[in-house]
Amino acid sequence: MATKPSKGMAVPAAMPDSSGAKAVEGVPVPTFEWMGLSAEWGTRIKPGEHGLRLSDLNVGIYGEVPEVWEDQTRRPRGALPRPGVPPLPYNLRHKHQMWAESAANLYEEAIQRRWIPATDVPWASLKPLPDDVERAVCQVCTELMQYANTEIEIITYWQDQMSYGYYEVKQFLATATFDCARLIEALRKRALSNGGGLGQESRGLVNRMILESRGGWTESAVYLYLVRGTYMMQVLKGLLNAAHNDAERMIYGKAIEDWSRHLTYGYDHLKYSISHQAGQADILQTLLGLGEVMMAAELQESTMRPALAFIFGSGIKGGRTIGMETYLHLVGDFVRNYVAICDWLGVPRAEMLHPLLKKYLEY
Amino acid sequence: MSEAPVKQQEYELDTSWMQHMGEWGMRAEPGKRGLTLTEIQIGSYGDIPEISKNMSGRPRGAGERADAYRVGAYGVRAKSEIWLQNATFLYEEALQRQWSSATDVPWHTIEALPDAVEEAECLLCTFFNEVEFVAGDVPARWVANTTPDFLEPRHVLLAQVMDESRHMDVFRKRALANGGGLMRMSGATSGFVGSIDLARDFTEMSTRLHISGEGAVLTMFRMGELFGQNEAEKIMYRLCAQDEARHVAFGVMHLRFLSETAPERREEIEFYLDEAEAQILSGVQNPAGTQAETAEALAILLGGGKEHYDEGHKKLLVIRRRQLKEYMQRVKTAGFGARFENGRSTVPQQYESAI
Repeated sequence: MATKPSKGMAVPAAMPDSSGAKAVEGVPVPTFEWMGLSAEWGTRIKPGEHGLRLSDLNVGIYGEVPEVWEDQTRRPRGALPRPGVPPLPYNLRHKHQMWAESAANLYEEAIQRRWIPATDVPWASLKPLPDDVERAVCQVCTELMQYANTEIEIITYWQDQMSYGYYEVKQFLATATFDCARLIEALRKRALSNGGGLGQESRGLVNRMILESRGGWTESAVYLYLVRGTYMMQVLKGLLNAAHNDAERMIYGKAIEDWSRHLTYGYDHLKYSISHQAGQADILQTLLGLGEVMMAAELQESTMRPALAFIFGSGIKGGRTIGMETYLHLVGDFVRNYVAICDWLGVPRAEMLHPLLKKYLEY
Repeated sequence: MSEAPVKQQEYELDTSWMQHMGEWGMRAEPGKRGLTLTEIQIGSYGDIPEISKNMSGRPRGAGERADAYRVGAYGVRAKSEIWLQNATFLYEEALQRQWSSATDVPWHTIEALPDAVEEAECLLCTFFNEVEFVAGDVPARWVANTTPDFLEPRHVLLAQVMDESRHMDVFRKRALANGGGLMRMSGATSGFVGSIDLARDFTEMSTRLHISGEGAVLTMFRMGELFGQNEAEKIMYRLCAQDEARHVAFGVMHLRFLSETAPERREEIEFYLDEAEAQILSGVQNPAGTQAETAEALAILLGGGKEHYDEGHKKLLVIRRRQLKEYMQRVKTAGFGARFENGRSTVPQQYESAI
């Protein structure tokens, strides 16, 4: 076997081999000039206990994840470049703009934890609910569908700007948008299969805030995961607790599994960004100051508020008392979690928390 | 004397939204394939608008609000621009047929190969690792640009992004699993006019990506039995072929829908097909193409070694011929078969001479 160069320039290990390339009529004489062109040869990765996972591939140069990836082509990390290839608009080329160490493992977990709403959800378990409860469930389904749609649209906006040097993140985000599509599908099916229908659309205060964040993926991730995502997780847990049937239990339970991955990525990425980019913590403080205003406003005016209260209170009457108390406690938990995560990230918010969010800490 | 019960606080809660919901009384029932997207296309929820006015991102059929923010900025709002009749089927099949490269490919069946064969396989895998996510990045961008009223095709495209992510990963794994490594990139999908990612129209992009590019790759994957050197590779190509077939089907059926519903665009589409056909065998996007260095690698794999290059090359010609044949079948199914009869397309001649 010809010796391969271990690093650096593409150097053919030998002259193009013409020894076996006799001219055969009708067969173009091959050049084989691609042979021997590898930056690192001899890599032999074996599957482990959980198979051959993405993170197993990070050996040698293939595992070197640079802080800046200058290449604006689709060159795979570790492959040799080719001169003359025109650039593409991969504008996010710094590791701190998207990285999370957990991305590769989260990708593999997403693949393993697949579920199919059409056949895995026990739709036969749906039984008629009182009209006010069914309306509340359908309204919440509709709102959550819009949350998921917003997540799809902001991820797909940024995804094709993310450079190939950090392919683990691109791959994970592909699973995240697939999760969103699946949740939209499951919730739509729930809303249309028990005598109800879709609810009224969300006015979209926080959706708009997420979609209008254009500074960078990190800035979008702050709103998507830290603000909206932390709240959404709390809502899903509340819904699971109050589920009326096995179908709902499965949908909400699976959504919690899926969104746990999203939040793990989001928090990990924000942590990485803050610890590797000077000034990022200050930027996030500014963004969160604005984000809390929007979140507080949405919490007050959104139909999620009455709809969740009616679910937790088993109807309008109970919703106005015990249901609303449960909802307020849920939001209190959201704010507590949000503050704790901000602290962990190095962006403390406890002292600066917007008053309209702070009030929920009483619950 | 009993204690008076403590009265819980009573909150005032808005219920007006209950009067502004979507159509009510829906009872979708599971069919023989479960509760699929087809089963929930009932009542007004199954009405797909010819032109969508949904700029707030609401789910199709949801009650509208006059004060909702118009955050959509969707460029794709005409049904003819993206629709296809079997979108629900393709999406549900995608969900059913997900697989894991970590555990569903029998990596343990890979054994040491002769150097030239390993290099050939690694070159092919480097190529696929590089190009597969074009078909992830680009459809993703179009999803963000498409109104949610066209939920079904959007979902198929999101499934495609997921599939391509998996393809990107499986080929990288193969390249690094058997004593080889990644090789030199091809540059096959980079930015120049007429390329997939620079298209400013969805159908133009889909013609180039689904019908031409992925069509050629699908033919190759389907013949993975011929050049896979072990069970792991054969299964890898087979699973990828399964996914790729859905992507190609999307392109074909969308083009068919467009040709039937927007006949004024037929001549424009013919030009996209002209461009695609000019590259179909000579372009570097086709790994079996005449200009692609991966073609040499394929010939080595098909022949089982450098010493059998000419035998491998003969089999490569069979692949090219099949690529052309299957391309013509797809374009006919899409409703543009006349181009092969009226002399516009040179593909029939290419097919005849590709022996």
